[in-house]
Amino acid sequence: MSAPVVIYEPFRAGLPPLGSYLRALWSRRSFIAEFSRSELREQNYGSVFGQLWLILNPLLLSGVYFLLIYIIGGHSDSTRYGHLTASLFLFYLVSNSLSGGVKSITAGQRLILNTAFPRIMLPISASVIALFKFIPTLAVFLVMRSVLGLPFSWQMLWAAPVIVIALFMGLGMAILISCINVYFRDIASFLPYLTRSLLYLSPILYQATDLSAKLKSVEIANPIFYLLDAWSQVMVYAKAPDLFSLAHSLIWALFIFLVGTYFFLSRERDFAVRL
Amino acid sequence: MISLSASNSLNSIHAKNGLAVSVQNVGLTYTTSIDKRPTLKARLKSLGRGKKHTRVVQALNEVNLDVHYGTVLGVIGSNGAGKSSLMRVISGIVPPSKGRVEVHGSVSTLLALGVGFNPSMTGRANVYLGGLAAGMSRAEIDQQFTAIAEFSELGDAIDAPMRTYSSGMYARLAFSVAATVQPDILIVDEALSTGDAHFKEKSLNRIKELRSADRALILVSHAMATIEDVCNEVAWLHKGKLMARGNPADVIKQYQEFTNAGKSAAANEDV
Repeated sequence: MSAPVVIYEPFRAGLPPLGSYLRALWSRRSFIAEFSRSELREQNYGSVFGQLWLILNPLLLSGVYFLLIYIIGGHSDSTRYGHLTASLFLFYLVSNSLSGGVKSITAGQRLILNTAFPRIMLPISASVIALFKFIPTLAVFLVMRSVLGLPFSWQMLWAAPVIVIALFMGLGMAILISCINVYFRDIASFLPYLTRSLLYLSPILYQATDLSAKLKSVEIANPIFYLLDAWSQVMVYAKAPDLFSLAHSLIWALFIFLVGTYFFLSRERDFAVRL
Repeated sequence: MISLSASNSLNSIHAKNGLAVSVQNVGLTYTTSIDKRPTLKARLKSLGRGKKHTRVVQALNEVNLDVHYGTVLGVIGSNGAGKSSLMRVISGIVPPSKGRVEVHGSVSTLLALGVGFNPSMTGRANVYLGGLAAGMSRAEIDQQFTAIAEFSELGDAIDAPMRTYSSGMYARLAFSVAATVQPDILIVDEALSTGDAHFKEKSLNRIKELRSADRALILVSHAMATIEDVCNEVAWLHKGKLMARGNPADVIKQYQEFTNAGKSAAANEDV
């Protein structure tokens, strides 16, 4: 008899056995990929430009915000436009993950009630979708920055760790908020205001150096402020990011991810009866 | 007859009549919110007024049930008897609040049809989506794809988006995907009533094909005729308690006397 024995006992708030949980998650990786791909395809289904919207969307968005800062600021140059576009694209990596993740559990009701699988898969695929949306914008930006005549250098390879941190941050936020939304459904309605505030509180429409030292010290509480600053240093100025910015964003990302994951894993066996 | 079960004799690792599922003193009570959508606003509004937001539902009470390999267990009972709750506990979707469940082997559930399907994708894409959701690997689905498509009798429609399907076509494809999984323990919850009479017959035959000495089947249904035909054991649940268990004919008779449903045509008619 080599059949695996699984035992189900009363739910206690606490982590499930992590080893077998991770193995179960890993064995579902092709489902995560397929699930994300079909969700992504559905979002632009039936529109005239179809998948082209993945590129059109960010381009139009940066155009609109450029108009805004041009009117308000009264002046502009190519560096400023490059900064705005680059920051906006990375910001949307985090915020798409957040807004896609918020309803991932509540919308996955049928799946959750009828199949046993690691529930964390659902917010993970929200982050995967956000990544799928981010990749074409990165290509668009690389073309754009050569047109704008921004400098190139090897320091731009710092983009890789910054993207990883951003991805991690978005994933942690998606996991945390999807879990909160099971218990308080109005978080989903509240979220647009949260992401909008994050957008204005982060160095996107302005540059980090524009802020006073006092304001900047308050921005320590903003998880993505220094992440976006580091990103701009790398992608617009082709410089290495300062260590503080990297450390700040990494610590925030780890913190959100760990808190979110702990909260999620210790609660997920309760989801089926809460939906 | 197209056969989906090529690997029937492949995994005979289970001792004949070995224990497949052991349900020991299982109770399931859960608190669920009274509001359909629990909101922060509702919470804040009733703060300090002592209003209750949750109610306690007793779905299962002291249920003891052993299922051995080679058994086809039918589970019957009126609506709200706890049948689906018991299936969810056995398959690990909901943890029990009392007692213990031991599962010896891999479990596959067919609790609802078309789980994981995305209506705007083609039937072909959904075969993969549904199969992966059910825990199959991509290679397994590749291998079984022709059989699934043939079994569903969809023909060329397999490459059309599923939102263009009739409900019968949808159900047929969903059943075909689900019936391909080859678990040690298969749990089917009222999923046999798919499509027209011809397909219903076909899916019933498929379930019969799946009966084997090294597999345990648990079948939830309101169709007494089917239960009596397919199962070799029946368990009757009522209000979360196990009322009787044993020979299909006997238990079904007790159940029907209890509910006074008698042998009216409606009770037997459908799967």
